[in-house]
Amino acid sequence: MQVWPLRFRDLDDRRTILSDDSGAYFLAKSEFVGRYARDALSPSDERFLLEKGHAFERAGDLAHTGFLARWSRRQYIGGGSAYIILIPTLRCDLKCSYCQVSRAPLASQGFDWDAETLQKVLGFLDDLPVEEIQIEFQGGEPFLRLDLLEAVAAFARRRFRRVRFVVCSNLQTLNEGILAFLDSEDVLISTSLDGPHQVHTRNRTGDTALTEVFLSNLKQVIGRIGPGRISALPTIDIEEPPNPEDLIAAYEAFGFTSLYLRPVNYQGFARKSHPEARTSAAWNDYYRGFIEALIARNARTGRVMEEFYMAHCLRRILAPGMDSHTDLRNPNIPSGANAVIDFDGQIYPSDEARMLARIRQVDLAIGNVSDGLDQEKLTLLAPGHINNFDPDCIHCPYQPFCGTDPIDDLSRSGRIDVPRHESWFCQRHLAVFDLAMELLYRTDPEVEFSLSRWLGLESIPEALRPVAP
Amino acid sequence: MIQLRLKSECDRGLAPFVTRIAEGEPQCEEDATLTLSEAGGLSYRTGLATFRLRDVAPAEIAGDVLLIDPRRQIAHRLIRAASPHNTFLITEQCDQLCLMCSQPPKPQHQDMFAHFLAAARLAPPGAQIGLSGGEPLLHKDALFAFIDAVFASRDDLSFHILTNGQYFERDDLAWLRKHRTRLLWGVPIYSDDPATHDEIVGKSGAFAQLAPNLALLGLAGAALELRTVVLAQNALCLPRLADFITRHLPFAATWAIMQMERIGYGRMNWTRCFFDSSIDFASLGAAIDLMRARRQGVTLYNFPLCTVPRAYRDLAARSISDWKQKYLPACRACSLRASCAGFFEWYREEDGFMEIRPQ
Repeated sequence: MQVWPLRFRDLDDRRTILSDDSGAYFLAKSEFVGRYARDALSPSDERFLLEKGHAFERAGDLAHTGFLARWSRRQYIGGGSAYIILIPTLRCDLKCSYCQVSRAPLASQGFDWDAETLQKVLGFLDDLPVEEIQIEFQGGEPFLRLDLLEAVAAFARRRFRRVRFVVCSNLQTLNEGILAFLDSEDVLISTSLDGPHQVHTRNRTGDTALTEVFLSNLKQVIGRIGPGRISALPTIDIEEPPNPEDLIAAYEAFGFTSLYLRPVNYQGFARKSHPEARTSAAWNDYYRGFIEALIARNARTGRVMEEFYMAHCLRRILAPGMDSHTDLRNPNIPSGANAVIDFDGQIYPSDEARMLARIRQVDLAIGNVSDGLDQEKLTLLAPGHINNFDPDCIHCPYQPFCGTDPIDDLSRSGRIDVPRHESWFCQRHLAVFDLAMELLYRTDPEVEFSLSRWLGLESIPEALRPVAP
Repeated sequence: MIQLRLKSECDRGLAPFVTRIAEGEPQCEEDATLTLSEAGGLSYRTGLATFRLRDVAPAEIAGDVLLIDPRRQIAHRLIRAASPHNTFLITEQCDQLCLMCSQPPKPQHQDMFAHFLAAARLAPPGAQIGLSGGEPLLHKDALFAFIDAVFASRDDLSFHILTNGQYFERDDLAWLRKHRTRLLWGVPIYSDDPATHDEIVGKSGAFAQLAPNLALLGLAGAALELRTVVLAQNALCLPRLADFITRHLPFAATWAIMQMERIGYGRMNWTRCFFDSSIDFASLGAAIDLMRARRQGVTLYNFPLCTVPRAYRDLAARSISDWKQKYLPACRACSLRASCAGFFEWYREEDGFMEIRPQ
């Protein structure tokens, strides 16, 4: 019998979580790890490993073939569909406290696509080798250039077999044209709701009256297109985070059933003046507290609010192919089918890469709409976007569920080869996956209530909690 | 019940032949056109023969492919153009004796491949045809040659083959790969415990043969539908089987969990085997939850909707073939009837589901 390599990590002082390359995991006492390390597995250990697909007798037997299939499904291959972020304008009518570089004042000139850029963007979309696309409009405030959105939408609906648009809007200004654009079923809205009134005002509007306008616009849009096509997320300033209960209540008030906690992502100088944003401990503590509060609240109220990222990480632990969210794909090789096109026609592999270029830290553009993609640069970036062979990740039981973010590493440390456990990305995800595993194995009715509903199950099957003998 | 055999009259001296009831102008010499319609029957002429059919209206059989058996004066409706449920019975021989078998095996084999080939060539565009038995792969060489011959002339057809999976070999890999997009293999697995599986299929060593052969299908990238009939013998172990499938058979496109059909051995063993999932869905629910958590496809076949808890009803397919399906008198009042599988023609209320409740 051959055992596939197992990686392990102590969940607490009694229990260790182990997993193999396919993402099949189990819990064991530390004695098991000792036997595994000394190559002294007992017959019952071996039976367990074989039964659960962590081992095989012969290449090509059912256990071996099953493992190969599970392993291959863990890898993100891409293809088939594209996810393109478009920045038709950098101008914005808000000046949020945490928005450092990705906006220009409302009245400024030269921060919008001109007619030529629009045509080249459409040409770029036309050349993508896919029939399905999701186009996300960001900014700035994209609705300041509704005309550009309409032009892209009209083109994309003709060009692609399946298309979906997400407009990331502050919903600060609505008019008849915007509302008409929202009426199409293929248009989704993503907006920011930072929590209770005063938090939202402090972070985003700086003005109570503007916050009132936003809240009334949000209500109007939900009333018009229903809650299914609109999502909101709170950006958390970890120096002054909202009380979890207040934050959840603010979301419930609008009928949202999902929210996605995002830490403020300070860039450049701002990061230096906000050292808290560099260390993950404060964030991880807040996040854990929030999830615990959410679970307790769901159990108490019988309503179900989901924190998207925790639910997503749980889904990634349990199943392959959960690659809808771009941040946690692996490999996540930059390509034209997964790119950001800036207001000036420059193409970036991600939104954060765009920011690094804006603050002139490093130019990570992978081309522009005039000259096309820079293949040399794409080749240079590719190896950093796979965690399978990273000298630290190969020892981590969460590697099959996790991803990479070399752009974030670059932005925070100036290099991509920092030891993983010193990087924000790794620290944050170790904490998320530790918590996810802990929740999965916690047989507590309150936890099971939330988890089963987040996962779309009637109950949590016992088989999702394998434990070695 | 829809008639699969029609009374026919034709020259008894003729050899059996395949014909298609033409819709419009005949396309080939096998196409039959109506020459006379009268109270006693319908007269048809093909390029090669004439025949009559009785007790059927022309519209019911338009486009159908028939096998006319002159000696027995019968027309077999091999392909019903209006139905998605067309199956060629490859053989009635089988090496297993499953407790719930709806079509108990017979010792002799009648080779029908030449007729099936002729019929498949006349099938409606894009048709998926079922190949069943007995165990079709007992005649593997002839079966594979038949499939090759059909695909050589009809690249729009596909087959859904029901097999017990006992007869694949490593040498079949290339052939399986070549046809992987056009063959769907329906293979039963009743338990992850070899002894239980072997007991249900009535053959010792069956599981030990099945497991490596399923691996071959996986290596070939074949489209695989696992099939499990729920029985008193395996119902409580379904969560374990789900765990086994998600770990060792993740390449299976779907897992069909099926209710029993009360005919053949299924009728003989009904009281011993029938598991009333209308009063106890717990193990089924747990198995389905595991499949859902791990994102592997699962389908419920032959489950009336009212016997399935609401949370799982979207999985219950209208699976019972049209010609052997019925509803109960109680179903008249049910609002879900149009999307419900209903019951097998031979289902009996007195020893069937306890909880049938019109919705």
